[in-house]
Amino acid sequence: MKSFSYSQAQSFEGAVERFHEASASRYLAGGVDLLGEMKDSLLEPDRLVNLKGIQESDTIEAGDEAWTFGPNVTIARLEKHGKLRERFPAIAEAARHVGSPQIRNMGTLGGNLAQHSRCWYYRHKDIQCLKNGGALCYARQGDSRYHCLFTDNPCISPSVSNLATALMALEGKVHVLTERGEEEWSLEDLYRDAWRNPMAHNSLAPADLIVRVVVPDAGRRSHYLQQSDRAEFDWALVSAAASARMEDGKLRDARLVVGCVAPGPHQLDEANAMLEGKALTSDLAAAAAEKLLDKADATPENAYKVPSQKPSRGAA
Amino acid sequence: MKTWPDTFQHLSKPRPRVDGPDKVTGRAEYAYDVLPQDWLYAMILRAPVAAGTVSGIDLDAARRVPGVRAAVLSRSLPVQVRFYGEELAAVAAETPQACHDALRAMRLEVNEASFVVQELEAVLPDAPRVFEEYENISKAQESRQGNPEAAMEDAATTVEGYYATSVNLHQPMETHGNTIRFNGEELLAWSSTQGVFGVRDGLAGAMEIPLSKARVITRYMGGGFGSKFPAGAEGRLAAELSKASGGRPVKLMLTRFDESLAVGNRPSCFARVKLGTDSSGRIKAYEMTGFGCAGYAGGGSSEGGSGGASFPANHLYPAENARIDQRSVTINAGSGRAFRAPGHPPGVFIQESLMDQMALALDMDPLEFRLKNDDSPIRRKEFQMGAERIGWKENYRKPGSSEGVVKKGLGCAGSFWGVPGGDSNAEVQVNPDGSVVIRCGTQDIGTGTSTLVPLVAAEVLRIDPNLIKGEIGDTRFPYSGGSGGSRTAPSVAPAVFDACVNAMEKVAAKSGMEDVRGDQWTEACNKLSYPIVAQGEWKEGSLSSRGAYGAQFVEVEVDTETGFVDLKRIVAVHDCGLIINSLTARSQVNGGIIMGIGGALYEDRIMDPVSGVVLNPNFETYKLPGIADIPDIDVVLLNFPERGVIGMGEPVHIPTSAAIANAVANALGVRIQTLPITPAKVLSALGQTGNDQYQRSLSDLQKALQRVDEVASLSQENLSEFVV
Repeated sequence: MKSFSYSQAQSFEGAVERFHEASASRYLAGGVDLLGEMKDSLLEPDRLVNLKGIQESDTIEAGDEAWTFGPNVTIARLEKHGKLRERFPAIAEAARHVGSPQIRNMGTLGGNLAQHSRCWYYRHKDIQCLKNGGALCYARQGDSRYHCLFTDNPCISPSVSNLATALMALEGKVHVLTERGEEEWSLEDLYRDAWRNPMAHNSLAPADLIVRVVVPDAGRRSHYLQQSDRAEFDWALVSAAASARMEDGKLRDARLVVGCVAPGPHQLDEANAMLEGKALTSDLAAAAAEKLLDKADATPENAYKVPSQKPSRGAA
Repeated sequence: MKTWPDTFQHLSKPRPRVDGPDKVTGRAEYAYDVLPQDWLYAMILRAPVAAGTVSGIDLDAARRVPGVRAAVLSRSLPVQVRFYGEELAAVAAETPQACHDALRAMRLEVNEASFVVQELEAVLPDAPRVFEEYENISKAQESRQGNPEAAMEDAATTVEGYYATSVNLHQPMETHGNTIRFNGEELLAWSSTQGVFGVRDGLAGAMEIPLSKARVITRYMGGGFGSKFPAGAEGRLAAELSKASGGRPVKLMLTRFDESLAVGNRPSCFARVKLGTDSSGRIKAYEMTGFGCAGYAGGGSSEGGSGGASFPANHLYPAENARIDQRSVTINAGSGRAFRAPGHPPGVFIQESLMDQMALALDMDPLEFRLKNDDSPIRRKEFQMGAERIGWKENYRKPGSSEGVVKKGLGCAGSFWGVPGGDSNAEVQVNPDGSVVIRCGTQDIGTGTSTLVPLVAAEVLRIDPNLIKGEIGDTRFPYSGGSGGSRTAPSVAPAVFDACVNAMEKVAAKSGMEDVRGDQWTEACNKLSYPIVAQGEWKEGSLSSRGAYGAQFVEVEVDTETGFVDLKRIVAVHDCGLIINSLTARSQVNGGIIMGIGGALYEDRIMDPVSGVVLNPNFETYKLPGIADIPDIDVVLLNFPERGVIGMGEPVHIPTSAAIANAVANALGVRIQTLPITPAKVLSALGQTGNDQYQRSLSDLQKALQRVDEVASLSQENLSEFVV
């Protein structure tokens, strides 16, 4: 790890200012991802701007129309918040499956959304892959068992944020402080760059800062499921989140999202539309999922990801 | 007193570890924790390529980094690199950061060469060679008995199967390493080792000093599982760095990343097996063609101590007519080492899978088929007891007959381990106050040896164990062998027994009392005017023996939509002769089973075909079972005091993966032929993924074994020696 200066931000605006005072700054929140990348020499920032001291950056506000989450809310709080679990079970379940209790206690909502690729080539200290500025996506020729089913990107590493999958299903919005001012991004916006730029993990510019996450409280029912190799403390091989309002036993504004199979959480308008105004049956869910996974571009190593998503959507 | 008493006061009872409080409070000092004055950090520079020639390493650049005190080459240049992660050089410095900086400062001159890291490719004729002179496939280790061809021809029923297992890493919680102080004349090492004397001999040999000038201490160590017998390159380098830095102590403990590359692994195994039975279901004929892969070399020839590519075949239920053609295959990967019952878990997975295949072909209950062919009365009893505990009779269904999305299955497998004790000495000092010190140059690898020593003495002397202090883990104590092969208890217990008997005789003679045991002990000792010392050693006799059997049963549920295997229950019935301590014995069984679960469902060292690196050198993607993955484990121990002490660390680990695989096959009605059994393989075997990686690996396996057949018919001259 290289030496770096350390700066404590008191406000989001102040954090951005301090960020620009050095040439290769990074924001530090829970540090779960960042410190690992620094120890592996993947990132060598000359300054860390600590966000944890920012006033009221870790609040959960339950509004009538929407809930607002500070970026420093820990994953553990999302997991354990009783009212949240009642209103947005998909978020609570997605949070519960993140890492271990220690990681959930340290990791934050903002950090979970902004985390970098877990691709084992990207993370390897002696490999410089496409995502790291190299010439080759090793996973395309090598072992892609944990990689994308959907992407046109030469890099096939997927986003593995559980919370992004759940938030997309709930039509959450991410407020980002950019050089243009505060902007409201959809989850699609947050990962759009990762679909086209092999070096991008998300659409955030280095100085961009997630300042809050807003989730409309539209009376949706929701759920999140993931399948891993192990029962606990494991990444999802595949994950799925679903949400819908129920009116007279009919689905309204249903959203079906799959995770760990694309550069961001993945949904398809045609699949969602198939659910609109229908009663939820397992056949219907299966048909919508079939549509969602229709264009999957599997490799021999990750072909299992296609069938393994079927039960997820059925239960959701 | 020549043998174990008829009744026990201290043995065969559940006794907490004497060092339990130290371990759970962090007071226990492991090699990792030793902090002698003026010690230096150290790290190893490793080859960044899987094959090639390193002709230059800029050691001076490392030495110029502030804080660096020494930099040494591992071997003289040029170095022929044969695997990613091979040791090239090492540095010692005042801080870890200085070590990191020094490793990065050293520029390498490397000529990369082509490499092969996949076993099934390495056997093919055009594969890059690990050693220029030889094909990657070895000469055969053949065996024949009876007339296998005729017996197979005559068999009423035959089945054939293809099986493979993955490379597993030992992953001890404490990584490999030492803290070593060597001033050029005398060497002191605090080692994380399974054999203090082996490390002493290795370090003294490498540093060219008399054995008497080297001392190795292992007070506590955090697991080895067969990978921590020798000093290894990391020990040799720590000693050299200490010398080069003017005798300052050097702590060279590997990182978890290092641990995955160069300190051993369980070799992968690949086999085509065929079994033939007569019309009554008795096994008559057996054939196996297979190979194991211990990386670029076996442990014996690569500073690894021991461990090769062989695995047992035609065992547990041996056919009298058998043909075995077993070979080894080399790839550009770190060497194999002994790994908890070397070869046996894969060998039993192959054998017991084939047994279930045959039972199905015979339309026979697989338990009944085993009982019919198992010549061991002890194991037959264990199978019957285990069957009762798991409810085999009530719950066993034919493969694939479980209804619904989540399917239930039952499976079983047996084990055998037959290494005897030996090579152990102990010394007892009896003080006039009746307290006793016992010294033995063995070491506690986590199995409870430091608890065993005073327990055995307490039993012989019939005194309170709190009067007894056991001291182990130091080459200044009487010689005892390395802790491997499940030999420690059957070696150490008789040596301690013998020393105590001799001490007792001396105390009797000095005190003039006839029987000094039990209530008489303190009175007799009070008559001593100074401490008495007695020696003891392991002897052939009834105090220990060999041959531990076992049977394990597993109940699973497999989700046919996600491929997830959920273990519901494991029943393990084992014997180990005289049980010394039923609590630590149970711990051994639990640990062996948990490790077996890892091999069955999760563990797989994954090599990258593109770059030749290990892709999962961490606990994020080298998946070990977590506590949530462990089912209820029902341990049944059979106590046979008349058989003497028998070790059990290995036999309890052997059958787990086989029993799990059989339970999964029973649930699904289709067999996953390669370990580990992952959700991806389950879905593939159920036909849900098309021609995916698993299906391809099965056809590659067939091709690789056809290639072995071809090689067998050619001249064996260009082939390497079998990797033992």
